[in-house]
Amino acid sequence: MVVIERKNTLRNLSVSDAMRRQVVQLEQTVSLDHGINILIKYKVNALLTIDAERKPIGVVSKTDIMGAYYAGLPIESPLEYIMVSPPLFCHSEDSLEAALELMRSHGVYRLYVLDSESDKLVGALAYPDIVGLLYQYCRQCEFNHLNILKHHEENDSMRRFSVREVMTSQVKSVGRNETLSSVMEELSAHRFGAILVADDDGAPCGVISKTDLALTFKHGVDPQAPAHTVMSSPVHTCDVELLLEEAIRKMILTDTHRLFVHEGDRGNIVGVLSLSDAARVRSGSCHGCVSSRIKVEDHD
Amino acid sequence: MKTTAADIMITEFSTLLPGTPVIDAIKVFQETSKKQGRRLFGIIVTDENQRLAGMLSMYDILLYLRPKHIHLWGTMEDFDIAGVIDAAGNRIKNILVGDIMTPEVVTIDAGANLMMVLDIMIKKHVRRLPVVEDERIVGIVYISDLFNHLLDQISH
Repeated sequence: MVVIERKNTLRNLSVSDAMRRQVVQLEQTVSLDHGINILIKYKVNALLTIDAERKPIGVVSKTDIMGAYYAGLPIESPLEYIMVSPPLFCHSEDSLEAALELMRSHGVYRLYVLDSESDKLVGALAYPDIVGLLYQYCRQCEFNHLNILKHHEENDSMRRFSVREVMTSQVKSVGRNETLSSVMEELSAHRFGAILVADDDGAPCGVISKTDLALTFKHGVDPQAPAHTVMSSPVHTCDVELLLEEAIRKMILTDTHRLFVHEGDRGNIVGVLSLSDAARVRSGSCHGCVSSRIKVEDHD
Repeated sequence: MKTTAADIMITEFSTLLPGTPVIDAIKVFQETSKKQGRRLFGIIVTDENQRLAGMLSMYDILLYLRPKHIHLWGTMEDFDIAGVIDAAGNRIKNILVGDIMTPEVVTIDAGANLMMVLDIMIKKHVRRLPVVEDERIVGIVYISDLFNHLLDQISH
């Protein structure tokens, strides 16, 4: 069932208001190696595959690439070996709410958009784009914390949400000497986009994301290599008391998808805040606002 | 009279390997620009046998530096551009030339007629063409060299 707030920012918006017009598409016979190059360069989480007649035929996500790496598929393999077919489509005139519902019911984070009249491919609608749209609305609101600071110094008496109230407080980590194979097992078992790497004392020392794994696949790194050799560091963190807008702004400005949340000591990680999880609960910190969030059930 | 690609191509040029870190490639851009006295906007990528693997152009690097949520930036006047560039610089540390290069490159052979070269450059919007013989790169034709050569001919 559709679960939508009556007052919802996304109401009355159609897919064409939020979609991206640039669709990253490759022929299904193109190698994984080339596919990863395009994923990295265009900073997208999935590619649309097309057949020889340029008809959309499947989707290859970073998760699929990680699966190929885990299974030991050669990097020269064509995308068609791992693509998920067929792609899911919506139409440019569909309501955003209907599109989100379609994503939710299929457990995916993107749809490809067909023109309502000609049925031609005109764009892609990815979850992060909608998150961005909500953030934009929130930024324009006069009650947004960042705007209040700008206009009246520090006289904001509103009770506000901090990262603590929105974050996921269970954080998994892997040891620095565990293999990439076991990192991939953890990521797919919990459906995470990234996992924290901890040193021998349990202190966080790096992060491995699906993007990092696509890169190590391309670089020919053995899946038995230890986590610490490919992790990225330092870990992007924020304080548990930080206001939500500030945290989301930080992620948007630095192209990070998640912040690990520390309390007191920077090494004391108590939670994780992902950009899309944040928007699922709310984009801003005002307690009164019910409009700037995406109301969808958890994908499972 | 210069009539073919071979007549105006340059034969001394830098190349990169797909495994070269992008950070090092950026230094090659800067150093070669200084040495050749012209701003370099693209470098050929080859394998160990001098066979063409791709091209790393200015656009490939800029595309990688461009923030993912660029469409939101118009509404944020308070962003810190220095911080953004630092973040991009940090991210680029693990990126190799092969990760972001353009693998498909238009090439010509040494005997290609200059008017054909001109036509390809216009139609494909490319500013430099690797000249290939027996799968090996023997030179590069720059659009600026072609342009200047043609201007000299006309003003004679």
